[in-house]
Amino acid sequence: MSEELISKKDLLELAGISYGQLYRWKRKDLIPEEWFIRKSTFTGQETFFPKEKILQRIERIQTMKENLSLDELADMFSPNVSELQLTKDDLLKRNIVSETVMNIYIDTDKGSSVFDFSRILEVYVLEKLLQSGEISLDEGKMLLGVLKENRAVVKQKSCDLVIMRKLGISSCLLVVNAESFSFETGTKVAAQLSLMTCAEEIKSKLL
Amino acid sequence: MELKKRGDLTLNGLGSANGGQFHHVKINGTGTVNTDIDCTEFECHGSGSVNGNVTSHKVKISGNGKVKGTIETGLMTVEGTAKIGENLFAKTVEVSGKAVIGGRLKAEEIKVKGMLVVKEDCEAELFKAESHFSIGGLLNADHIEVSLFGECKVKEIGGQKIFIKQKAALLGLFKSFLPTQLEVDLIEGDEIEVENTKAAVIRGNHVTIGPKCQIGLVEYKEELTIDKKATVKEYRKV
Repeated sequence: MSEELISKKDLLELAGISYGQLYRWKRKDLIPEEWFIRKSTFTGQETFFPKEKILQRIERIQTMKENLSLDELADMFSPNVSELQLTKDDLLKRNIVSETVMNIYIDTDKGSSVFDFSRILEVYVLEKLLQSGEISLDEGKMLLGVLKENRAVVKQKSCDLVIMRKLGISSCLLVVNAESFSFETGTKVAAQLSLMTCAEEIKSKLL
Repeated sequence: MELKKRGDLTLNGLGSANGGQFHHVKINGTGTVNTDIDCTEFECHGSGSVNGNVTSHKVKISGNGKVKGTIETGLMTVEGTAKIGENLFAKTVEVSGKAVIGGRLKAEEIKVKGMLVVKEDCEAELFKAESHFSIGGLLNADHIEVSLFGECKVKEIGGQKIFIKQKAALLGLFKSFLPTQLEVDLIEGDEIEVENTKAAVIRGNHVTIGPKCQIGLVEYKEELTIDKKATVKEYRKV
């Protein structure tokens, strides 16, 4: 909670927007509910926002709304980024993926250098797990295979990715809508990752 | 959706059925559907209840309808009493009776003549009410037009244009018995006109405070008009 807050009044002044616009964006879910922080002040209750995040978001909305409608914008900020397409260079530039991992991905994938959201997610997951050292390169390739085969499922449901090892043999599971799971003793879970959270992380990086 | 393969579900008199996918669902009399329904048209005449969610293009409740879960629909019409346990998501909501929503109401257009109770937030592009209503959270709409009838309560109102008017009393007799007032903590908007409203704080660009208002603090940017019969404790230009 150390981040700097800005009151609604100051925000409107600073960003040069009206109450109508702010409430409209809130309705369209362009500004997440969690950013509306209520605090009591001497004049009663007031709403505050995390200053840096909200100013950045408003700037993005204002620059993008020239070529996109509000509904398209809402899609952009929502969990289902279906229309989004980025090139390899975009991803590298926005620090979503490092160059090494990108090369590994393109090597195994043999696809084009234009990425839709499924592929961005795949490469991001790979990046995350490889960089943290939780999995080996071979395991990474295996998990890419799993993700690719189940693209349709990954898009719609909340999935967890589990990499486990037993006696030096590793295996990869895609757990769909499960609450919990347990393994035989001696099985080690090398990595577990919620794809939903990954998707959100990517989006926050895109914004 | 493959609509051709779907059948209809009609409950006449006293009966219960399980949910599923249907074309038309009609409940006449006292019918209960035990699980979720996915259909093109849902109609409830009489006192029907659904112990689950309803997803449909059109939902019409004329009588006494209860849905335990969430309704997702294009057009929602209530001509009797509707009780919705969780949320209502619709394109258009028309209430000429009474609707009680346990969760959130999100729609593009909401028109109410009668009574509306929303426990959490209520969001729409257009909110038009000639009614008695209470909203537990934020009423957030681009254009809000309210004719007060009875005692109305909202926690917060936000939007672009907000007009709150006192409804002209048809029967002068009842006027003294029913207090007609809107009670709200905070109103924020670009253009605000209020009458007969009790509010702690009002913030806006163009603000008009009409008769019988009791306002704690008004903050305005451009213009402020206060009626002689209104009480405003404090106002300032920001």
